[in-house]
Amino acid sequence: MEPKRKKEVLSAIHHCVKCKLCSISSFHPNAEWLPLCPSGQYYGYQAFYAPGKMEIFRAILEGEITEPSGGLLNSVYACTVCGACYEKCKQITSVELGAPELFEEMRCELAGKGWILDAHKSIAEKIRETKNAYGEKYEYKAESTGGNADVLYYIGCTARYRVPEIADAMLEIFDKLGLKYQVMGEEWCCGSVLFRTGQVEAAKELVAHNIEGIKRSGAKTVVFTCPGCLKTFKKNYPDMGVELVHSTQFLTRLGSMNLKKQDMKAAYHDPCHLGRDLGIYEEPRAVLNEVTNIKAMKREREQAWCCGAGGGVKSAFGDFALWSAAERLKEAKEAGAEALVSACPFCKRNLKEAAKKEELEVYDVVEIVNRCLEG
Amino acid sequence: MNETFSNFVKEVKAIVGDANATDDRAMCTSYSRDQHWHFVPAKNPACVVRPGNKEEVRAVLMLANKEKIPVVPYSTGINVRGLTIPVHDGSILLDLSRMNRILEINPDMKTATVEPGVTFGMLFDKTKEYNLRPAFPDAPLTVSVLANYYLRGIYQTSATDGHDHTISYEMLLPNGETLKTGSRALSDMPYFRYGVGPDFAGMFCAHPGTCGVVTELTAKLYRLYDNRKGYFIGFDDVGTPTKFIYNLMNDELAASIRLVDNQSWLKGIFGTFDYPYEDLPKFVVCVLVEGVDGIFDAKDNLVREYMNESGGKVLELPAEFARTFEEESLGGAERSCMVFGLKGKGNYHCIGLYGPLTRASEYYEVHEKTALEVGIPDDHIHFYVNPIHGFHGQVSYFELDVFYDGSDAEFGEKLRNYNEKQFHRLLDIGIYGWFRPYAGIIEPTVERIGYLAEVWKKFLHVLDPNEIMNRGKLF
Repeated sequence: MEPKRKKEVLSAIHHCVKCKLCSISSFHPNAEWLPLCPSGQYYGYQAFYAPGKMEIFRAILEGEITEPSGGLLNSVYACTVCGACYEKCKQITSVELGAPELFEEMRCELAGKGWILDAHKSIAEKIRETKNAYGEKYEYKAESTGGNADVLYYIGCTARYRVPEIADAMLEIFDKLGLKYQVMGEEWCCGSVLFRTGQVEAAKELVAHNIEGIKRSGAKTVVFTCPGCLKTFKKNYPDMGVELVHSTQFLTRLGSMNLKKQDMKAAYHDPCHLGRDLGIYEEPRAVLNEVTNIKAMKREREQAWCCGAGGGVKSAFGDFALWSAAERLKEAKEAGAEALVSACPFCKRNLKEAAKKEELEVYDVVEIVNRCLEG
Repeated sequence: MNETFSNFVKEVKAIVGDANATDDRAMCTSYSRDQHWHFVPAKNPACVVRPGNKEEVRAVLMLANKEKIPVVPYSTGINVRGLTIPVHDGSILLDLSRMNRILEINPDMKTATVEPGVTFGMLFDKTKEYNLRPAFPDAPLTVSVLANYYLRGIYQTSATDGHDHTISYEMLLPNGETLKTGSRALSDMPYFRYGVGPDFAGMFCAHPGTCGVVTELTAKLYRLYDNRKGYFIGFDDVGTPTKFIYNLMNDELAASIRLVDNQSWLKGIFGTFDYPYEDLPKFVVCVLVEGVDGIFDAKDNLVREYMNESGGKVLELPAEFARTFEEESLGGAERSCMVFGLKGKGNYHCIGLYGPLTRASEYYEVHEKTALEVGIPDDHIHFYVNPIHGFHGQVSYFELDVFYDGSDAEFGEKLRNYNEKQFHRLLDIGIYGWFRPYAGIIEPTVERIGYLAEVWKKFLHVLDPNEIMNRGKLF
């Protein structure tokens, strides 16, 4: 790390007073004790809470920790980098610690030393070989309906290979609305998982390929159903001069879609990348509100409980990921919901897996829209 | 790591389970500092142990005592003043956060019995169902109830709650013996502090380090009232409002009385940075009245009378400020922690002490004088006072605050210089006692207390002959 940046990072770390209010959602006015940090809540040791992680980062930067250890790797990588801690801290103190970015930089620092989990190395290897994060060798079938359409749908690895019902739904929505769209002939992984796990170098090839493909398409707007991909394009890619929007932003712009009302008791789960990272809270709710009255959960928006999948956690700490998801599902049930709707393939995948025990339906918002849209 | 310690870790893991003990360097590093690093530098424990029950605590303590390995008890992880930073190399840190059961809420007795990992937020979440609340510290509601009460009673956010909220507790000593205080020693009714012989509950509190590991504690709970009203009265100095505060305390009228300056705690009490605080008088007395119908009305009338004759300016402020003040005073400090972010700086230094209200102006003046002498800018100097029920001796809690940039090492040096002068000066003015055994505070204090210091050391030696309880260099 460059000395100037190192000084800035250490300064931010020294600003943490370790009050740990970042680990609970707003207590007042309802006087309810609701944890906010999945990692800390699950593992318990101080190292898994933001103040403890910062202390570890300080020790690395100041040369106190010079070797990797199991505890180091677990505490650094068993964090979904959901950013809830930072949002709560900012709300109370206005101290700009920048925790999620700080923790991603911490991972970069570790990866630069070769201190990285095998599970994450393996993902990088799969991406290098197959250009998708799951190492799948087949192609998800999708065809452009307009060779020079202004809109390009960037599908993303998870919707192509793990929850294709989301990609299917989005494509059907385009068709039902009579909108021409492009998909990339050769869509490569956006690199999100590499950026989140500190393997920034490995992502460069992907970035270059995707930029070239999008520029060549001539599309003016790129639509994403995956907030992780959208965040990566917005924050880690150079400006391509095209508009980057989430599916729910795209759909709300269309105005009323005359969606059929559903007799469904649904709660909405804010994906971390969409909400806390990109500030998109209203559009998914606006779309869902056209169909049903949303059941409010206790932890929402900036203080939403993370589903547990992000930041490389799903691939390396499966039990923890499912525990976090189960906690979210319980909260949805307590709110009186029979279905939990999200706007992220990664959230859906993890929540759905956990929901096998919880008797709760899990959807992506585009699936609901597609179901309620006249063909 | 030497072979003896390595074997010790193995034995500890056999007691608490592999997942609940670690000597991993990174994991231990996460416990190496609190916000007081300018005074107590980082030091790693050699091992962190997370027992799940008192029998595991006992077994670990006995093992540590046998091997003369220092033990640092740690409750929920919101530690200040270096109190849980190891003094000695090779210490083990006993992280008690897994022991987070509320063992009993007894609405008839108005008590709660808790384990060390229970926070004020967790407890109030449950006691509110009975229209009861704990006495809150002016600390984040993420702090441990047991640790705060055990360290030294409690203080400030409610004037009527008084000082002592601990009724009785159970403590495990290094030799593995269980020590129960008050009525807890005689029966299964832990509801009375002065059960047998001296006030042992008090004798084991407020040491540097601890005497043992407190595994459960019974504390007082207080009533929640529907009728509440907040008032804010501005003054230009610290001295003028003391008569007003005296009247309120003498007639037992207010649930909360807080004299604060207009640039620090007031922001937390009101819950926002976004207000022209500089337009308010320099000091503001915040008063909260509560009670059942008829009594509330009578109290409220008297408070308004005293307010009108106080010589202060009754402030007309947004209604939500009064609501936040109620929540922060009688519902747990959350927004109050905004003070950590004053000007986005992220740290604070304070000397908390008990003294008579009559000395308020002197404490403030010496705070200002010493701070300016060591080069602390005047806009970093803050102050607050909270009187404490029953007000015998006009007992009040004073806090001499400096909010500053935690990353500024030079400022840290100024604060160390401040402390060095200020401890002596405050002792010269006269105080009732310190709020916490702050770093550097024991030495100038002990030299003034005569034979008591010897008795104190001998007392601790009886309880902890191997000195394993993070005693510090003095003991």
